[in-house]
Amino acid sequence: MSGENTVREIGHDEFDPYGTLALILIYFAILSVMWVFMYFVEFLGNDLTVLA
Amino acid sequence: MSEQLESGAPTFLDDYPKEAAVVKAALWSSFIALALGAVFGVIQALHRTNILRLIDSTDYYTVLTAHGVLMVVSFTIFFLVGLFTWATVRSFDRGVESIRYTWTWYGLMVAGTLMAVVAILGGFVPQTDISADVLFTFYAPMQAHPLFYGGLTIFVIGTWLAGADWFWSWRAWKAENPDERIPLQAFMVLTTMLMWYIATIGIAIAVVVFLLPWSLGIFDQINPLLTRTLFWFWGHPVVYFWLMPAYLLWYTVLPTISGGRLFSDPLARGVFVLFLLLSTPVGIHHQYVDPGIAEGFKVIAMTNTMFLLLPSLLTAFTVVASVEHGARQRGGTGLFGWLRALPWRDPAFTGMMLAGLMFAAGGFSGMINAGMNINYLIHNTIWVPGHFHLTVGTAVALTFMAATYWLWPQLTNRRLFSRPIALAQVVIWFVGMGLMSNAMHVMGLFGVPRRTAEPQYEGFEFVTSFGSITELRLQLAIGGTLLFISTVLFVSNIALSAGAPKLSGLGKPLSEPLSGAHDSPEILDNLKLWFGIAFVLVVLAYSLPLASIISRGGVLGPGVDPVPMIIEPLGATLEPLVASLQPLLGRLAAVVGGVGA
Amino acid sequence: MNIHNYEKLWLVLAMVMIIGFISTVVYGATAVGIEMVNDEGGTIDSTALEEDDRFAEPRVERVGDNEYEAYVVARQFIFEPDPIEIPANSTLTFYVTSPDVIHGFEVVGTNANAMVIPGEVTELTVELNEPGEYGILCNEYCGGGHHTMEGKLIVQPEDEFEQGGNDE
Ligand code: HEM
Ligand SMILES: [Cu+2]
Ligand SMILES: [Cu+2]
Repeated sequence: MSGENTVREIGHDEFDPYGTLALILIYFAILSVMWVFMYFVEFLGNDLTVLA
Repeated sequence: MSEQLESGAPTFLDDYPKEAAVVKAALWSSFIALALGAVFGVIQALHRTNILRLIDSTDYYTVLTAHGVLMVVSFTIFFLVGLFTWATVRSFDRGVESIRYTWTWYGLMVAGTLMAVVAILGGFVPQTDISADVLFTFYAPMQAHPLFYGGLTIFVIGTWLAGADWFWSWRAWKAENPDERIPLQAFMVLTTMLMWYIATIGIAIAVVVFLLPWSLGIFDQINPLLTRTLFWFWGHPVVYFWLMPAYLLWYTVLPTISGGRLFSDPLARGVFVLFLLLSTPVGIHHQYVDPGIAEGFKVIAMTNTMFLLLPSLLTAFTVVASVEHGARQRGGTGLFGWLRALPWRDPAFTGMMLAGLMFAAGGFSGMINAGMNINYLIHNTIWVPGHFHLTVGTAVALTFMAATYWLWPQLTNRRLFSRPIALAQVVIWFVGMGLMSNAMHVMGLFGVPRRTAEPQYEGFEFVTSFGSITELRLQLAIGGTLLFISTVLFVSNIALSAGAPKLSGLGKPLSEPLSGAHDSPEILDNLKLWFGIAFVLVVLAYSLPLASIISRGGVLGPGVDPVPMIIEPLGATLEPLVASLQPLLGRLAAVVGGVGA
Repeated sequence: MNIHNYEKLWLVLAMVMIIGFISTVVYGATAVGIEMVNDEGGTIDSTALEEDDRFAEPRVERVGDNEYEAYVVARQFIFEPDPIEIPANSTLTFYVTSPDVIHGFEVVGTNANAMVIPGEVTELTVELNEPGEYGILCNEYCGGGHHTMEGKLIVQPEDEFEQGGNDE
């Protein structure tokens, strides 16, 4: 089925979602960096860690 | 605009007028709850930042209870039953088996909601002893009026019967189509309901076995850790109960409106199976800092929770890839240039995409919540509402609103009152939530608690490492106000659409997946198998913690008396103030009650 | 079943990330030694706190060189004792319980943050090195006066604490 705006039909085998791959790799990078920041700076750098 | 062109296809209303009436009724119930919830929401946002005070601080908690219950029980679940009825009927292409039965469960859900709402709003009327200022988590030994617990029970029974309705359709359909794969939308509905049946065991026991009889005075002690644990047995999977209808829309509707096709049907099925298996045995992650639960159980809950990220991460890929497919079919090119080829003027599309983007951010704060020891940093701070206003409050809520713009014409044979307003509405929501949620996250890191009426304390001040608390409060209040405006725009747009002329041919067929059902292993459709495994996993995850809680504190826990939550004015100094506010509150309650009825 | 290569790659990366998260948490629990509040605080009859050695008189007690225990009652809408006073460079274990409803116990702006459940005793140990003052607040809704429920933790310079001759 194709929408009114379809300029070309693309089947499963000719479709490489490399744009999606790029976006998701960026997301992966953001998540990793933010996790490290939150865990090691915000959390472990914070006062009064519960030790027992 | 081209997206507006009628396809000429018959609509859901043309094909199934009786079912369309139920779907519309359920969606209206949902929108009324949303509108009321938004009124309470903006009152909170302005009150707790000390910008505008319409209520007394002791009544803040009545407002907050109403906001929580209306939003996450009524708004979300009424939308779910409407959407699932549509999806089941549409994808099996057959009407419900008995329309009277369908109206019956809908009626039960309405009755249950009204009971609970009356109990909650009773909190504004000190002349009655009806109140339920217990928030939507109703932790014992805080006690609500029996009407509150009774209402919740009836509501949940309504949802059980709704699920049975869809299983009934499945059986009837299967008898006629023994060799066919379950259609994708119906598959999503059925797996979600299986998860719901398992999840609601927890809340059913908590409410029916303990809280309701206890509130009726049949016994007078309770084990608060036990009822709390049973609450969270349900309290995590309910999150996925809110989310699954949004996923259904992202997988089956969003690809079509972006001009493409779902990337992979098998993957979508696999994702729903994973949710069925993993949603429930994780609830203890809400209790990481609870006493009375061994650390080992917390580690198990964390591990399960982290793996529960997997189906959501997979969804992100599949859904974005399907949208990219649409963009490329529309002529989009380049690594990122295809994004420009998408139908950004379509409020349904833009709304869902913005919702998905917010979910990516909410996913991150959820990972922090889930990280066991890092939970110390943010537990019960306002970071937590910051998180779930991105997930349920935007990923789910905004997707529902956006989908309504797409679905409503097919339920009414009328065009939307205004598409430009709709487009503005979804953008305003996104901006408003960006502000409110960002402020909440940041304030949470400085230790500002959630669920409090006052912005500050007497003995100390919140110390910020960047930005000032005053600035953040303002940001929260502005965000909350924008969200309120957005909700008003949404509800009035739908209401005004009733005045648009009737048209025919507004139907919008859905595109087929690129990799279809025939590609997916048969075993995915073996619902009995998945239900069985899910059940075993839950038994494994919960039998030891529950046994330990009961052996420590007893079934009814020694020595914990009920504390009815009828909020008394706080001593004589406050009494004149409260008295002077009563007429106002009475009026507010009357207005709210009048709208709700 | 037709799974695209990029999707397989993402599946692998997602697993790597999940395992990375779990490893970080395990690192915090083992190498740093962060412990979760757990079941070791034991249970208590919440209707009879006045008969309990520790909670009949909420207080701070010295239990060893630089080691202190604070028996704290969180009730609608106060913390006892208030303030909690302690010398710098000491290890403090909080034992917190409630005679009425569920409360929260948060030393503001720190990682000391736990639930207080009637019938259970919340136990958490922290190290207090620098002199200073912290706010304490209840971060679980507990009734109409919830927003007024606060307390204080005062870490005295070691010499001053001795002179003050505080709670023994
Ligand atoms: C008009 C838009 C909204 C506004 C202005 C708003 C505002 C707020 C604020 C300020 C709070 C924090 C109260 C506190 O902890 O003291 C809150 C709590 C909450 N909100 Fe919203 N919200 C909105 C929409 C939603 C939506 C759409 C949902 C879910 C579908 C939602 C679910 C909740 C829940 C579950 C709570 C927590 C209640 C509790 O702690 O018991 N809200 N809201
Ligand atoms: Cu959860
Ligand atoms: Cu409190």
